[in-house]
Amino acid sequence: MTSVEEAEPSGFQRVVLTNASPYQYLKIRLVLEDERSRLSDVELKSFIIAGLKSLHGEVGAALNFDVLKYDEESLTALLRVYSRGLVKLWSSLTLQGFYQNQACAFRVLQVSRFTGISSLEEPLIYLLFHVTQKKRISHFPHYCHPLP
Amino acid sequence: MSVFMDLNLLFSEDRTRLQNLVETAAHLGFSTVAVNYVFEPSAKKKQEVPAPRPINELIGQLPVVQGRSRPIRVLNRLTVVMSDASHFRPNAPEYRRFDLLAVQPTTEKLFHAIDRGVVFEISYAAAIRDATMRRYTIANAVCLMESCKGKNVILASAAEKALELRGPYDIINLGQLFGLSDSDSKESVSSTCRGVLLHAETRKTASGVVFTMKIQQEALQDSADSEAPAAKRAKAT
Repeated sequence: MTSVEEAEPSGFQRVVLTNASPYQYLKIRLVLEDERSRLSDVELKSFIIAGLKSLHGEVGAALNFDVLKYDEESLTALLRVYSRGLVKLWSSLTLQGFYQNQACAFRVLQVSRFTGISSLEEPLIYLLFHVTQKKRISHFPHYCHPLP
Repeated sequence: MSVFMDLNLLFSEDRTRLQNLVETAAHLGFSTVAVNYVFEPSAKKKQEVPAPRPINELIGQLPVVQGRSRPIRVLNRLTVVMSDASHFRPNAPEYRRFDLLAVQPTTEKLFHAIDRGVVFEISYAAAIRDATMRRYTIANAVCLMESCKGKNVILASAAEKALELRGPYDIINLGQLFGLSDSDSKESVSSTCRGVLLHAETRKTASGVVFTMKIQQEALQDSADSEAPAAKRAKAT
């Protein structure tokens, strides 16, 4: 992509900003023993909060997270949490075994950032900068909301 | 890409249950799993060490691991629950049918009889089943990490049902809860497990230098009848 003036050759510089967002995103699916049961998004959020409380206590239950997207049919949700709370939230999802007396499991499908280990799934969110114009020309939100 | 292993899937007589376990493990991304037969010798009556069932008997077609092109590898493992080190003879013939051996100590004195190259395992399925066990699991795990400094530890499931399994990255995150660092946590699911397998092979193969393989007798017969030159004909034994 060249600029109209043709003054300098335009190039692209890929800048990967690992700390661009204070949030981390988790895409999860709840797998239940009885495959026909459904939860509303409010029920899901209170279930996750109960799990946080049982594993990490009141401090855990006070951890702020948001359910950005929820598909009730497939029980798939996109959660957003502050980076500091990722380990707590993720571990409480992992150790959650029962929902109302039926066995369940949270399958974490994607996480937006791994601490120091390579991801099995999607790459990091990154921005492409046009070198000469220093203007943000595109960004790839993948499955996440655009960065604020 | 790392190879992830879950070296503790509890054996159950129910074939569908075991099949579901292995399929879920393959779907979650584990390249190798081990079916665990638990054996508890009691002093009162002489018990037979259980024989491992051949894998093709239990599961027809091994499922392909998600993210790779190869099917999942299923090994056999024996866990002996014991309180006294004298019961255990590692070179007994019954133990040779298993790929991995493990000891579940019930008393402290067994810990003193530990030798080099031994790896400790923490299983997390109990933490999923029960809240009190969760506390004990985490407490014991943290203690273990203190004493071994995070090396030579593996995290495995000890799962009975498919819903008790968790993906490798979930377990890596759990390792951080137990006090492991990022890299130690990942190692506990990948490279330490591989080290365990390699160490186990040295048991069968005279410290990993020599290994013998049974050649089919029929193959020797055939080559004797063919047009092969005399020098290349295999000696019929």
